[in-house]
Amino acid sequence: MIRALIVDDEQLARAELQALLEATGEFELLASCANGFDAIKAINEHQPDVLFLDVEMPVINGFQLLSMVDAERMPQVVFVTAYDEFALKAFEEKTLDYLLKPVEAERLALTLTKLKHTLQRGQVPSYTTPELQRIPCCQGRRVKLVDIEQVESVFTDISGVHLRTAEAQLCTDLTLKVLEQRTPLLRCHKQYLINLAFVDEIQLLEGGTASILTRSGHTVPVSRRYLRQLKERLSF
Amino acid sequence: MGLIIDLLQQMSVFLVIAYIFTKSPAFRPLTSESLSWRHKLLLYVIFSSFSIMGTYFGLPVQDAIANTRAIGPVLAGLIGGPLLGVATGITGGLHRYFLGGFTAFSCGVSTTMEGLIGGLVCMILLRRGQAEQRFNPLIALLTTLCAEGLQMGIILLLSTPRAEAFQLVQAIAAPMILANSAGAALFMSIIRDQRRMYDHFGAMFSAKAFELAERVLEILGDGLNHKTALQMAQLLHRWTGVGAVAITDRKQVLAFVGLGEDHHLAGSQIMSPLTRRAIENNQTVFADGVREIYHCTISDQCPLSSALVVPLRVDQDVIGTIKLYEPRRKLFLNINRSLGEGLAALLSEQLMHSRYQEQKTLLAQSELKLAQAQVNPHFLFNALNTVVAVLRKDADQARDLLLHLSRFFRKNLKRSSDITTLEEELDHVRSYLYIEEARFGDRLSVNLEVDAALMSIHLPAFTLQPLIENAIKHGVSKIIEPGTINLSAARTDHGVEILICDNAGTYTEHDQSDGLGLQIVDKRIKNLYGPSYGLTLSCQPGEMTKVSIKLPLPESMESKA
Repeated sequence: MIRALIVDDEQLARAELQALLEATGEFELLASCANGFDAIKAINEHQPDVLFLDVEMPVINGFQLLSMVDAERMPQVVFVTAYDEFALKAFEEKTLDYLLKPVEAERLALTLTKLKHTLQRGQVPSYTTPELQRIPCCQGRRVKLVDIEQVESVFTDISGVHLRTAEAQLCTDLTLKVLEQRTPLLRCHKQYLINLAFVDEIQLLEGGTASILTRSGHTVPVSRRYLRQLKERLSF
Repeated sequence: MGLIIDLLQQMSVFLVIAYIFTKSPAFRPLTSESLSWRHKLLLYVIFSSFSIMGTYFGLPVQDAIANTRAIGPVLAGLIGGPLLGVATGITGGLHRYFLGGFTAFSCGVSTTMEGLIGGLVCMILLRRGQAEQRFNPLIALLTTLCAEGLQMGIILLLSTPRAEAFQLVQAIAAPMILANSAGAALFMSIIRDQRRMYDHFGAMFSAKAFELAERVLEILGDGLNHKTALQMAQLLHRWTGVGAVAITDRKQVLAFVGLGEDHHLAGSQIMSPLTRRAIENNQTVFADGVREIYHCTISDQCPLSSALVVPLRVDQDVIGTIKLYEPRRKLFLNINRSLGEGLAALLSEQLMHSRYQEQKTLLAQSELKLAQAQVNPHFLFNALNTVVAVLRKDADQARDLLLHLSRFFRKNLKRSSDITTLEEELDHVRSYLYIEEARFGDRLSVNLEVDAALMSIHLPAFTLQPLIENAIKHGVSKIIEPGTINLSAARTDHGVEILICDNAGTYTEHDQSDGLGLQIVDKRIKNLYGPSYGLTLSCQPGEMTKVSIKLPLPESMESKA
């Protein structure tokens, strides 16, 4: 069984695709997501084999969603769209396939064949995704997009990944790894990323570690492993 | 007593000549407000002749002449000022002087003085800003009265022997003063009446020309074609009274009305070299029938012999001509010539305007078609996908969806540029919304709140649908939370306001296709109702986007309000 995830903002479109997938008897549907935020969570949680992804979605579209997924956990992607095949053509070679709505069962069967081959060969898809400009964060029940320039530092703890800006601390569903890969933020500790633009002071400590004081007065630890990298970037 | 009768008789002959003068072209200068030097010279010659004639027609009395010489200089002074008066007086006076007699010198001097008096009265009246009073017969009468009184005084003073002079004055004073004053007054009244007639005629002609122009513009509102050309030619023919009128485009005669219409046929090629010249050189061609004669190239029997050909221009390009003809026996009136030229200029303006309007409408229409074509596929395929999904569980709803879809597209195809009612527009929008509400499910709810009395108001077709579509495509579908669209139409103090609000607040001016759609809707409303109506857009980011459509309240509703 191929472990699949559907991402589409229209309930009827999800239901229709779900019915089509079930009819083949080859898919195990892990979740059906109505937007990009839910999708990130679901991807991180379930690590599906394939993503049936709508392009036009609110706030985070299909392409943007892919740049929020950890490259190592990247599933195969099948875009599903009503009319944007022209936009997809540019992406086509990198994605596994694309389907046009309304989806025909015969066409889906072709996709399935292609998918099986690819999965058998164990190819991990790699998409050259654009750098992230804005990070989706949750703030209570609302979703907020934070400009990367405003982020001072990012850290993980037991409850998840947190973004710190001058004003607030927010949690995000993106992993530290994705943020390190797709943004200019620099890794300075196993659990920390730092935005060099906000570094106010670096205090070198015994044992080859250091401590960064940010402009808004927070301290960010630097481990021995990442200090050299930091020194190189700041050339000191 | 006999002398008075004689003098009055003589004056009558004088007035007949004066009357003939006012009917001649030489009188023309007097109809204008200010006199040029050439006109003054002409008046000098005329009034001097009158003065000399007055002396000639005079009656010998005791070695002197009882006469009406004074009328010339006094009127010349009154009309043309001191200089003209004195010049006329000197001429009349010198003539009298050389005729001899014991009053020769005194009469010569007094005639000059009479011209001067007329001139002084003229100057006083001009200074007081009462120029028109110069033509008042009463003033002419009083001025001549004074002048003749003065003459009698001068005769008494300068003529010798005194006794004879006294006797003479006793005999001629009363008849001459009376005859000259009355003569001057009557002469002036003839002049005044003639002036008034000219004025009246001018005013009448202007009024006629304006009315004609207005009617012609009305006809031309439908553009220049065979039908409107015929209507215009008929109108021009009737109003100007010329022999015939023709209207052509660059190649053929569009209409011909009047003499010779039996062989000058509408639809035939332009044959006349005059017309070709007018078109080629882009200038008015005039064959006055005397120096240059119009020869009909079609028939030898054609009665027409003079023609005016005025080009019709749009943007400096000749697109046709207006032609006025007169037959052999009639003179081509100057007035008709200037009327023809004026009308052609006016029509050229109007043609340019209507062409501009036409292009503007065409542009708005093609832009609209473009926008329609751009939006449709997205909507169509998503709608079809919705139907396919619904079909799995609810065939009735699927049928409804397809019926609405078909209804929506049928209306889309049918309505291109016309004006429709709010009711029709809402109907169109409802079909669209029925499908979109099914597609978005819980994510879209729409509230309609329309004053039922406004259902009949007019607006350009395809006004509401693009706005609703924008509210969904660029608004509600861009947010994760449930979206709401409020559509309302209500009366305001200044007319009707239709509001379309969504709770997304995602409008950005950079969105090109969005902006284009709004612009077209706005342009079409402004084309229909004028610049004070149309769209205004406001956006509170993250809160709401509001589009307001302002329309005028129909007059029929204003009275009820």
